[in-house]
Amino acid sequence: MSQSASSFAPLPPASLPRAEGRLSHEDILRAEDRRKVLKERTARHWFRLLWLLTGPGVLVMLGENDGPSMVSYATTGATYGVGFFVPFILLTFLMAFAVQEMTVRLGAATHRGHAELIFERFGPFWGYFAMGDLVFGNVLTLVTEFIAIQAGGLYFGVPAVVSVAIGVALVVASLAFRRYATWERTVMALAVFNLLFIPAALFAHPDGAALVHAIGTWSPLKGGVTAAFVTLILANIGATVTPWMIFFQQSAVVDKGLTTADLGEGRLDTAIGAVLAAIAAIATLVAAAPLFENNVDVSKFASGADFATALQPYLGSVGATLFALGMIEAGVVAAMTISASSAYAMGETARKRHSLNLDFSQGWLFYGAAIASTVVAAAIVLIPGAPLLAMTLTVNVIATLLMAPALLLLLLLVNDREIMGAHANTWRANIVGGAIIVALVLVGAAYGVITVFPGILGQ
Amino acid sequence: MSYDSNLIDALEPSQLTAATEIPLPRRRLSRATTILLIALRVYIFIAVPIVGYAFVHALMAPQ
Repeated sequence: MSQSASSFAPLPPASLPRAEGRLSHEDILRAEDRRKVLKERTARHWFRLLWLLTGPGVLVMLGENDGPSMVSYATTGATYGVGFFVPFILLTFLMAFAVQEMTVRLGAATHRGHAELIFERFGPFWGYFAMGDLVFGNVLTLVTEFIAIQAGGLYFGVPAVVSVAIGVALVVASLAFRRYATWERTVMALAVFNLLFIPAALFAHPDGAALVHAIGTWSPLKGGVTAAFVTLILANIGATVTPWMIFFQQSAVVDKGLTTADLGEGRLDTAIGAVLAAIAAIATLVAAAPLFENNVDVSKFASGADFATALQPYLGSVGATLFALGMIEAGVVAAMTISASSAYAMGETARKRHSLNLDFSQGWLFYGAAIASTVVAAAIVLIPGAPLLAMTLTVNVIATLLMAPALLLLLLLVNDREIMGAHANTWRANIVGGAIIVALVLVGAAYGVITVFPGILGQ
Repeated sequence: MSYDSNLIDALEPSQLTAATEIPLPRRRLSRATTILLIALRVYIFIAVPIVGYAFVHALMAPQ
């Protein structure tokens, strides 16, 4: 059973190792996964095939519905209610799909991770800049994941140190599988709990007509364009498109063993993830909307736990509990995916083995990077008096700013016909990608101008 | 580790770890691309400190 002859193979390698002695344990595990895929494809069992190939897209999208993202959506709902931001969130997920689809093609066509490709094709100068952005963004984001875990725990009366320790233990335990497929399915099972925000939103008794009106008219937008509005625009964009997603999904596609024959399923996986994540994101906004309707000031909230507590009178104890549980899930799943993204990128940069199929002895740098980044982030959260909610929103703003150069490198790679062949971007995809870069730069510039010249909006 | 000798045929040759360890050749960036990359780098170096300033400013603001 061999792969389709039409499959595209990127530049070189001229002589390929088929000798048994040069096969790695990682190759054999990946080949086992691929044999199942090829069997289902041959038998035309499309649903089973989709099930086998689903994973990176769903994980990256639900993973990005993380602690800071859910706090951003809740803050948006509490500040602006159901209105302009509902269709805006849908638009950001369309953007996310357009970006992530490119990473699926890159991974499937080249079988190499994103950091690896940047270093090899553009050299170490741009490679280290890209890695610097990734590490900076990932460390900050991981900190905020533990803020979410801690906040959710506090709602249930669990001391911060205990919930953070449990979070670290879960991340480390997920790495102990030493098998990509098991890791992926375990994290996916946890990620399903992101949908807890949907029943939480139902407890807010949302007005369906108002939701439809908001989507159709991009209104109401009470208060107009203010500094807070621009910050929330950036925070909501940073809640859906961030550099770690690019690095993670491409590496996960490679680790899972997707080929160009699987692009259709890879796109569907990403689309399913985007739809689920968009629904959960809008549900979070809707669940927090009663705070807007009742003029509750959220600017003094210290963390996501304050949202759950403040929502209790409006959602009831069950609704508020679901909200707090959702916050914990958001933090745990994102901590797992973001630490994996750091580990993949670290292995690719150091040219060491990087796979969730590795044994600890072979993948000490890979697993070490994931564990070290997790422990450092967890330790920062426990610093007394840290301004947690302010940090959470700021992290998403930084993620949005870092996205523009990351996206340019992605566009350059996905247009590189020497490595992409027939799977290079079309002109339409380039227009979409270019428009996203321009939009990110403009929104970032607007934020900068408003911050430096706060009187410019007449406030 | 023992395995079926046909198993590895399930992988494309370029998927094997030994194949991916061979680096791809360096690509030459055009002047326009380099300028764009530098411009976005400058943008980051300006924008991130502004976010840091806004963060600190918000913390120092009287409650």
